Amino acid sequence: MNNVIHKDLASGRWLEMNLSQQLGNIGSEVGRAANWKKKEKIEMMDAALNRALDLLNLTIADKRWRTGRKELCRAREVLVDTFWGDKEYNDTPENLEKYFFQFAVAAKK
Amino acid sequence: MGEIVIFTDKIPFAEIKRLADLRFGDMVKGVIDVENSVVALGGELHADEEAELLNNNSKQENLWGVNIYPDLVWPEMIEFDSMINIRPNQNNRSRSVEDEKIRNKILEILKDKIFYE
Repeated sequence: MNNVIHKDLASGRWLEMNLSQQLGNIGSEVGRAANWKKKEKIEMMDAALNRALDLLNLTIADKRWRTGRKELCRAREVLVDTFWGDKEYNDTPENLEKYFFQFAVAAKK
Repeated sequence: MGEIVIFTDKIPFAEIKRLADLRFGDMVKGVIDVENSVVALGGELHADEEAELLNNNSKQENLWGVNIYPDLVWPEMIEFDSMINIRPNQNNRSRSVEDEKIRNKILEILKDKIFYE
């Protein structure tokens, strides 16, 4: 766990959150990455994306979401492709933010 | 592992830098109580700082989440973006702080508190 950014969350606190809360928090970082990309601040975009992936990895590892793992892993792949890859999946940072944002709203209900 | 610091008075800029370096490197998460002018910095999630301030007699309706990027200039260093800001009952339906008056209040509080040694 040496390269984990969110050390406190990785130690167990992340597992206290439900899926909406987890994905909502991931979406916050995806949104930040999208905003920094728009402003062409690539280093800051990378930092936000690293934080998003750090949290997404914790969610993928969460045994409670075993049956949804395929979708979570696809989300990670599309995320990486959209920001850092060849845009093979023709998705956009804004769409990805919308995808995660619905969970943030659900988490607040 | 990390720490949340609550500031009721001045905030040394060096402390913002230290808290940023401690956790995310380029930024520190903050929650501001716009009623009592209290600022919590350094949490892993804004929700952690929110909880600290609620335990410190803040009211949730007065708490707003921001990110501070110490390497950027004012006011660009303040990013209004946090999950705790999503509050449909206060008519705030995004992660930003949609009310301009509240945004200005947050900036006013931070500008007043942050000082460079």
